[in-house]
Amino acid sequence: MTALPDRSRGVIALREESCTSCMVCARECPDWCIYIDSHKETEPATGEGARPKTRHVLDRFAIDYALCMYCGICIEVCPWDALFWSPEYDHAAGDVLGLTHERETLVTWMRSVPSVD
Amino acid sequence: MTLDDFAATRDVPSDDWYEAASELKGSGHDFFDWLSAYDDSDAGVAVVARIWSVRDRHGAMLRTRVAREGGLLPTLTTLWEGAAWHERETAEMFGIGFTGHPDPRPLLLPDGFDGHPLRKEFVLASRVAKEWPGAKEPGESVAGRKRPPGVPPAGTWGS
Amino acid sequence: MAADVTIEWGHIFRLRVLDVGLACCAVEFAAAAARGDDMAAVGARPFAPEPREANVMVISGTVTDKLAPQVKRLYDEMPPDSYVMSFGSCANCGGPYWDSYSVTKGVDQMIPIDVYVPGCPPRPEALLDGLAQLNERIGR
Repeated sequence: MTALPDRSRGVIALREESCTSCMVCARECPDWCIYIDSHKETEPATGEGARPKTRHVLDRFAIDYALCMYCGICIEVCPWDALFWSPEYDHAAGDVLGLTHERETLVTWMRSVPSVD
Repeated sequence: MTLDDFAATRDVPSDDWYEAASELKGSGHDFFDWLSAYDDSDAGVAVVARIWSVRDRHGAMLRTRVAREGGLLPTLTTLWEGAAWHERETAEMFGIGFTGHPDPRPLLLPDGFDGHPLRKEFVLASRVAKEWPGAKEPGESVAGRKRPPGVPPAGTWGS
Repeated sequence: MAADVTIEWGHIFRLRVLDVGLACCAVEFAAAAARGDDMAAVGARPFAPEPREANVMVISGTVTDKLAPQVKRLYDEMPPDSYVMSFGSCANCGGPYWDSYSVTKGVDQMIPIDVYVPGCPPRPEALLDGLAQLNERIGR
């Protein structure tokens, strides 16, 4: 079988360290298929004159690939470049719930995301 | 082609609908392109038809408005038989009637379908029923009250 | 991937595929079917002429409420122990038309599905992979 181009639109990968739970992808998704849960954590002030910092911690990031229409709006709109196209396509499932990829799975697709150069 | 080929829309009162179409046919507009409608809220349901002259390469758009409840227009099938399916679809999607239509059955909707889908008040039930994933604020796991534009809150619509 | 499937010579062409081509996914199915060698590698022979001669039904495309009874009829006419693949987002759950007034939100509302292939539309290679997975399931 012929090899696929590296930048084929196969599946959407998540770069977890870049995600800030800003919710923009979930809001822009036309199919409402991105599910994000997060919570706030406060870090105590460090050193003199510093303030306690609040940050968002991602609890759940899931994409329902049964619904997803692979439009790529989430990837385009992410302000933090946390989502990428990966060319992998072979993830058929025996059950429709198996098509909802949770965070761990979405992170594994980063292995085939082509580099920028 | 020039802009003249895409004639500006000519508005006619609904009582003159058939005559206006008939005049167009008489002046060489022999190709019935399409007929459809749009929901013009308080102004009623606007019905638009485009008729093209193959010989002169010139088109004409006719528009009229009918009442939202019980709106009726004469059928154009006596002028162009091809108008039949267009009128059937427009009737079922917008809830208007075409008097004299040879076969006024619904065209696309399944039997027993309730409502007129292309009217503005016809709500997409799935979007009301499913919780919007974007309703949560960053740092929340329980949805706040945000809803995307155009979706009525659950409980205010539907039986 | 389909290329990794070992051809079991005793079972070659054991999948006789009926394509219920309803929308864009049917084009991807046709593209996959045109690759005869790859289809043979997964033991599939596409375009069964009627349901009675098929043992795999692939729903490729959007199922509308009006057409749904006909899709069910095709399923009922297949022999027992047949398999069904849901190909593409529309067949999986309504896809981009999940909010439509006229679309069945997933063909599994009517018939049991053995394999769901995601995509909008899925690549031809994804169909071949789905058929390969079906093969494995049958083999068990």
